[in-house]
Parts: sequence; C-alpha cells; structure tokens
Amino acid sequence: MSDPPRPAVLRRGAETLPPTPAAPPAEERPRTAKPFLLDFFPLQTEKDSRLARFFARLAEGRLSTTRCPSDGRLMWPPRTVCPVCHREELEWVDLPGDGTIYAFSAVLAGAPLGMEADVPFAVGLVDLAGAPLRLFGRIEGRPWSDLKIGGRVRVEPYALDDGRWFYRFRAVD
Amino acid sequence: MSGRRVAIVGGATIPFGIRSATWAELAQEVGAALFRAVPSLRPEEVDSLFVGAAEPERFAFQSHVAPFAAEQMGIRPTRILQRTELACASGQSAIRSAYAAIAAGLSDIAVAVGVEKMNLPSMAEANSAMACVMDRAWDGPAGATAPPFFAMVAQRHMLEHGTTEEQLAAVSEKNHRFANSNPTAQFHAKTFARDRLLRLPMIAPPLRLGDCSSMTDGAAAVVLVSEEAVRRFPDPAAWIRGTGQYSDFHNLANAGSLTEWPGLTHAAREALRGAGISVHDLDLAELHDCFTISEIVEYEALGLCGPGEGGRFAADGRGDLGGDLAVNPRGGLLGCGHPLGATGIAQAVEVFQQFAGKVPAVRQVPDPEWALVHNLSGSANVHSVMVYQRGGAA
Repeated sequence: MSDPPRPAVLRRGAETLPPTPAAPPAEERPRTAKPFLLDFFPLQTEKDSRLARFFARLAEGRLSTTRCPSDGRLMWPPRTVCPVCHREELEWVDLPGDGTIYAFSAVLAGAPLGMEADVPFAVGLVDLAGAPLRLFGRIEGRPWSDLKIGGRVRVEPYALDDGRWFYRFRAVD
Repeated sequence: MSGRRVAIVGGATIPFGIRSATWAELAQEVGAALFRAVPSLRPEEVDSLFVGAAEPERFAFQSHVAPFAAEQMGIRPTRILQRTELACASGQSAIRSAYAAIAAGLSDIAVAVGVEKMNLPSMAEANSAMACVMDRAWDGPAGATAPPFFAMVAQRHMLEHGTTEEQLAAVSEKNHRFANSNPTAQFHAKTFARDRLLRLPMIAPPLRLGDCSSMTDGAAAVVLVSEEAVRRFPDPAAWIRGTGQYSDFHNLANAGSLTEWPGLTHAAREALRGAGISVHDLDLAELHDCFTISEIVEYEALGLCGPGEGGRFAADGRGDLGGDLAVNPRGGLLGCGHPLGATGIAQAVEVFQQFAGKVPAVRQVPDPEWALVHNLSGSANVHSVMVYQRGGAA
C-alpha cells in the first residue's frame, strides 16, 4: 500500500491559509444508502453539513480543523461557531500528519454494530506533532499488544465504500 | 441550599440482571415494588413523576417514556411529569429534578424512577447505543465505547502512578463481595476472588471482564416529599443536604488529563459545602464504579487519599467496611450491574435502607448519619453528587 498524501504542517501563528477549493457539488458525492441512525460515520456533503469542507479536504489527504481568527484558538472537532467568543466566521487550517500515542487500548469484545468484524482493533489518543490537539481514533498497522505510549503514528485519511471519508492513525515504528 | 427541605422517605429496587422482561414490564414491576415498600403512600398522592432513562429510544425503541412509565406504574401526575437523560447519571438527574421541584414548592410528593432495558437480541445494537453516548460523529466511527476509554484511564494511571492489576482487582473483589448479600444484584451469590479476577479475559486492555460493569436490565424508584409531609412516613428520612454537578468537556479530544477528575472534586465540594460537612464526616459513599479504575480515581478526586494513591487505598481495604469509608456497600455497579437510568436511584435506595438499618448485617454500615452518592456519565466528563443525612425515626 502506498503512503497516503502527507498533510501540510501547521505553523503556529501562520496567516490564513489559501482559500480552500469548494467541495464537489452534493449530487456528485453519493449519499449513504445505509440507515443513518445505525451508522456512526457522519454525512458529509454540503447538503448535510456546514463542515462538508472538512471531508472534502480529507479526500485530498489533508486533516484539517477550524480556527478562530480572533485569538487563533484551534478547535477539535471542527465547528461552525467559536465556543469562546461565538464568532461564526472561522478559518480552516491544516493539521500535522504525525503524532505520538498518549494512551491506547483495544476493543476485544463488545463492538458496535458494523464493527464486529474489525475485532480486535486498537484505539488511542494521539498528540499531534506541533499542534495543541490530542485526537481519538483507530490505530492500524500493528497488533494492539505491539503499540506503545509515545509510539509514532501517521494520520491516514481513508475512503468508505460509499464514497464518504474518515481518518485513522497508522503506527509507523 | 435554599427552599423547602426535601427527603427521600422510601424506595425499592427490583432484581437487576439479564431479565426476561420488556421496558414496560420492568416499569410495572418497580411500580408494584415501590408501593409495596411504602405502604403509607397512595398512588393518587403522587403529584409528580421524574423518569430517569438514558436510551429508551435505542434499547426499547420507545420515546415519550415519562407518560409511558406513569401508565405502567399506575401514577397520574398532576403537576410535573418529565424524563431526565444524562446517560449513566440519568437516575440521579431524576432525583435532583424532583428535589428541585419540591424545594421550589412546585411539587409536594414526587416519585423518581429509573428504568433501563439494555440486553437485546443483538448486543451489537446495544453496544451502538453505548457508543452514541460519546461524540458519535467524531469519536463514534473509531469504535469509542466506555471500556476502551476507561481502559486508557487505567493505562495512564498505571504509567503515572504505578497502579497495578491487583489493585484494580481489589475494588472488584470488594464490590462483588458486597453484591453477594444483595438479592437485587446482577451478580448475587457469586464469588469473585482476586486470583480468579486476574484470570478473566481482557475486554479492553488492561481492563478484564471483572473490571467492567455490565449491560443490565433493571429499575428502581424512590419517593421524595417536602418537609411538611415527612412525618407521615415511619422510616428515618434520607434528607437531601447538598448537591453538586460539573461538566467540562464532551469530545474525547478535550478530556485533558485522564487520571485527574477535577469535575468530581468540584461537584463533591459543592455538595459537601451545602451539607456543611467534610468528606471525612461521611459514613458511606455510593461511588460510580462503572470500572474498577473509576473507583480508584474517585477516591483521589474526593480527597480520601492523595493523587495517585487510589490503587493502594483500594488494596489496603480503606474503602471497605471497617476502613476509612465504606464505599459501595450495595455492591456497586460492578456487582449490581449498571442499568443506566436505574443506577442512581438504586444507590439512593441503598442509602435509605442503610439509614433505616434494613440491609443484611454483612454490609450494614454501623449507625450511619451521612452518605454521599456519585454518578459520572459518559467519559467521566460529567460528575453528579448528592449528600444525604439520616433523619430521626418517627
């Protein structure tokens, strides 16, 4: 498997990033045919969400989030309104593509619907390199018992079979 | 604390477990149990009903459960009828809401009931219900449920403080031992010796089966009344003397330290200040041991021991009957199971019965006056605390 595209590294205090290309029109991005209320993956077209751009960028290999231009505060998850000053005009910024494991575990039993075949799978909290964010996600690439706190991981956008996108981490050492 | 004084004057818990009963049948059963346990209460006197139910839409495909529960229980509320939802703390939320209504003069006699039906033909569906307690769009796709989150708490606690699997097992052994004397416990009359606990399968490493509470069907109910009505009821009242609550994040990315729960410290301080006592004045505590590591972090957040010392506190038996503070004499969530909406109510029933001296001797705290009840919810992002004082017998 070839390496996924590497997201640009965030520089603290950087100016607003270049304008993001608009997401493809909703009709070109297939809506899920699965029952939405039994499916954790978010709907992600512009018809569904004001955060459609997050997923369009993810499809380009870029993990991103929103930042408040007033104080530079990064948010996770991306939002439409700053939780501190309630400003509604937020800017998109790319996040680092590398991180280290802060904590991890594995689901060995009791997986949610649709994830039963994934068992056992590892999950963890990952400190992104150079950004004050600690993201939760799946960790692929190693059996859970080979993972270590402090181990390096890479952000890995991936496509669902219905055209939606999500992200996970891949252990790299 | 202001407004009218409020007390619990009776309550009942039905057997917890994997029940051959629907949500509606559990509600009917707890209604019957409540009116049997409190014979001086007539159904037509109950002016308000608060229904703690975390996910009836998910587990029972039933919404609008407040009137649904009222009908099952044979109650026709004339003043306030509502459901309270706060995931694992939905039951305590029902009690808190009933307390607020009575204190404000909007209700005189209220019932707080908790009902949860969690065991389904497809447990994957039930696990999905547990996962949507988290931030479903961002944490859910990774498979976030409670066990892997609390497993990370345990992993960090082991790393930062040297906490051991044996210390986790000490919590489980204690609470299962208490549950042996509780006929409503899911794991009633079963033995969980420490060495056996350490051989049980891993669920979410480092947590084993014995470190985790269960998917449980169950219900419990209490009666709350204003100070004017307390004397009508013969058993010692459990007066609500303080409440506190704190919420500081939801998405797992915003959890901060996994091993320090300042929200619990804040909520407990608020509740104890309302009661005018310190944590060292407590005679028993019902703490939210959804996982063994939870009780260990809670010892620390409550100030029963120093930061990082919770594992040793457990292993030394300081949270046991005869120790510094009797914690979870009911059997805890570990021993009783954890029917989300019912748990907080069943804890209050235990406090009431402890005050009345009506529990089996092996778990009876001697002459208790003060009790604290704690529930966390979700990923320990919300903490809810209530403090009770025993009143004089009529």
